[in-house]
Amino acid sequence: MNETREPIISLRHVDKHFGALHVLKAINLDVYKGEVVVVIGPSGSGKSTLCRTINRLETIDSGEILFEGKPLPLEGKELAALRSHIGMVFQSFNLFAHMSILDNVTLGPVDVLHTPKKEAREEARRLLDRVGVLSQESKVPAQLSGGQQQRAAIARSLAMHPKVMLFDEPTSALDPEMIGEVLDVMTTLAADGMTMVVVTHEMNFARRVASRVIFMDSGSIVEEAAPDAFFTNPRTERARSFLQSIHGH
Amino acid sequence: MSISQLLAQYGEEYLAALLTTWKLTAICFLAAFVIGILITVMRVSPIRPLRIFAELYVQIFRNIPGASLLILLVYALPYLNILLSYFICVTIAASLIPAAFCSEYLMAGINTIAPGQIEAARSLGMTFSQTIRRVVIPQALRSSVLPLTNLLTATMLTTALASQVPMNPLDLAGLVSHINTHAVGGVMAFLISAALYCATAVVIGQIGTRIDQKVRILR
Amino acid sequence: MSSVRISARDMLYEEPGPKAKRRIRIVTGISLAALAALAAAVIHRFYITGQLDPRYWSFFARGTTWTFLGKGLLGTMEAALMAGVLAFAAGFFLMLGRISSIRLLRGLCIALIEFTRGVPTLLFIYFFFLVIPQFGIQMDAFWKISIPVAISACGVVAEVLRSGVNAVPKGQTEAALSLGMRGRSVFLKVVFPQAIRFVIPALIAELVIVVKDTTFAYVVNFPDLMQNAKVLISNYDALLSVYLVVAVIYIVINYLLNRLSDRIAAKQKKPAERRA
Repeated sequence: MNETREPIISLRHVDKHFGALHVLKAINLDVYKGEVVVVIGPSGSGKSTLCRTINRLETIDSGEILFEGKPLPLEGKELAALRSHIGMVFQSFNLFAHMSILDNVTLGPVDVLHTPKKEAREEARRLLDRVGVLSQESKVPAQLSGGQQQRAAIARSLAMHPKVMLFDEPTSALDPEMIGEVLDVMTTLAADGMTMVVVTHEMNFARRVASRVIFMDSGSIVEEAAPDAFFTNPRTERARSFLQSIHGH
Repeated sequence: MSISQLLAQYGEEYLAALLTTWKLTAICFLAAFVIGILITVMRVSPIRPLRIFAELYVQIFRNIPGASLLILLVYALPYLNILLSYFICVTIAASLIPAAFCSEYLMAGINTIAPGQIEAARSLGMTFSQTIRRVVIPQALRSSVLPLTNLLTATMLTTALASQVPMNPLDLAGLVSHINTHAVGGVMAFLISAALYCATAVVIGQIGTRIDQKVRILR
Repeated sequence: MSSVRISARDMLYEEPGPKAKRRIRIVTGISLAALAALAAAVIHRFYITGQLDPRYWSFFARGTTWTFLGKGLLGTMEAALMAGVLAFAAGFFLMLGRISSIRLLRGLCIALIEFTRGVPTLLFIYFFFLVIPQFGIQMDAFWKISIPVAISACGVVAEVLRSGVNAVPKGQTEAALSLGMRGRSVFLKVVFPQAIRFVIPALIAELVIVVKDTTFAYVVNFPDLMQNAKVLISNYDALLSVYLVVAVIYIVINYLLNRLSDRIAAKQKKPAERRA
């Protein structure tokens, strides 16, 4: 499954506090090329924070995060350049409200990668078509449904040709009937070999698509396993009760 | 006096006064806008002394009455050996006060932007200045169109302070005071100036509403 | 993850890295030095022109100075309060006309509102100070300041009240009507009291404008804070210090009013958010 044994993302002994709250406790995690790592856990377990430290939207207190073997730059142009290689999809989509969907997708390539405008547009249209919202290209975000916005946001990230994609609860803000369309896009992406870190509550998605499941609780990685093993036979009591609580309703 | 008498005798003065009011308004609004942006930049900066200074500026000039400020500039500054022309004094007073409000509106405009969009820009690899130029400023400006047009009108009303000092040519408010202290101008003298102010305000309001409708951000 | 709402203002800058931290420290140092230099220059200016001389400031230590200024302030407050009450009454009726179903009345009220909002207060003051006496009408200085200030504010008050009325949910009217209440008493007993609560912060903010406008009372020779300041100035031959202190008094009063308005607004927002 792994093309190389060198992890693309590597967290070593990462700690983080929000004031008195210890949100990440000695996290160790390697993500290899082509892997889909799904992070699950109760809310407040630190899984979103973990995801956001990987492109340094959240800073860490101690430990080390490596991208392609090199520590994350701390600031400035180097940090911006690194982020351009890591796609990020947010819970609340975060499309730029004042721009059309097409402009949302071309902004990164034109401003950051200096792709010629025409080329960027062609590629953007291709990506919008791929996620199924090409017909909405000239609308502004508020005119789209949540599911459409999230798919456009995925296209915006893909336009940067990221080496890794981070998904921070991408379906949590969606109406139930729209969750499927977003998960379908993500499933296709995974099938195409994209390296992904996905924080989600969608257990079926985790089961179908994940190469590995990470279970977090109160700031620690409690369990790390292949999806089948995790869902049929969790090793820890905490994972077991979490899964029960989810199936409970 | 009847309107025809007034216009025959003071027609040119009214025109000059209207132009003076417009000129003062334009200069002061521009100055207020520039100062307002500078103050806003300080207020959002991570430099504490500048933040405190800018907040202090806003609180002082939001709350000082125009007359009080003008009197300080005209009558008190000479005691510090600072002599400014009446025109400059009026311009300063009618710029510093709107600048404080301008900054308040720009701050409100910035705060309408969802923080997530700034994070999204960062995640795309945009630098600080790219994020500011492409995401923050366009949105903040678009959502400040209506407050800023109201500010333009308010600036015009503030320039009536000019009537409190000897100016040549007079502004619209000053002319009313002038006509009525030298002759019996009656209600008409007042109404002509009032109508000119009002018409300007209505036109400004219309233009502002139209721009706002064009650039308004759907949320 | 955290439930604290972060505003865009605090998001503009990232958490600084080591280089950025150093830069912030340096710029902080430079700006501190610049502000200190500015303050020093101002004080120096006061010093070389002799304005720091105790004779310009010592009389502020006397109680009589403050009782005198206080009396002026009382005059200011009386005029401002009267103007506020008048503006509220006029604004109320303008608002009623503005939302009335009679087209002519509505048009008239829109015109009046636009007129009062588009004309500077000083022009109304000149009208009452210079034009009205031409008709042989004698008026107390108190009214010559409070009426024009009220006129200048009433249009804004009308619009503020209207926004409050619009903010009251339609269901309230429907519920009251279904109880058998009549249209007028529904408005006065159900809709308007709620509308007022919504707009109290905006009304207080408008009161700040009224207080500021009453500073023009010296134009009509009404004994307000400004007018009493003039007396102090001629008594002590101290113009700069007195006008500075007066400006500070105005700033503090208006600042406190604005704070009050913000506080009430914040308090009203909270339960509304909880409901959402």
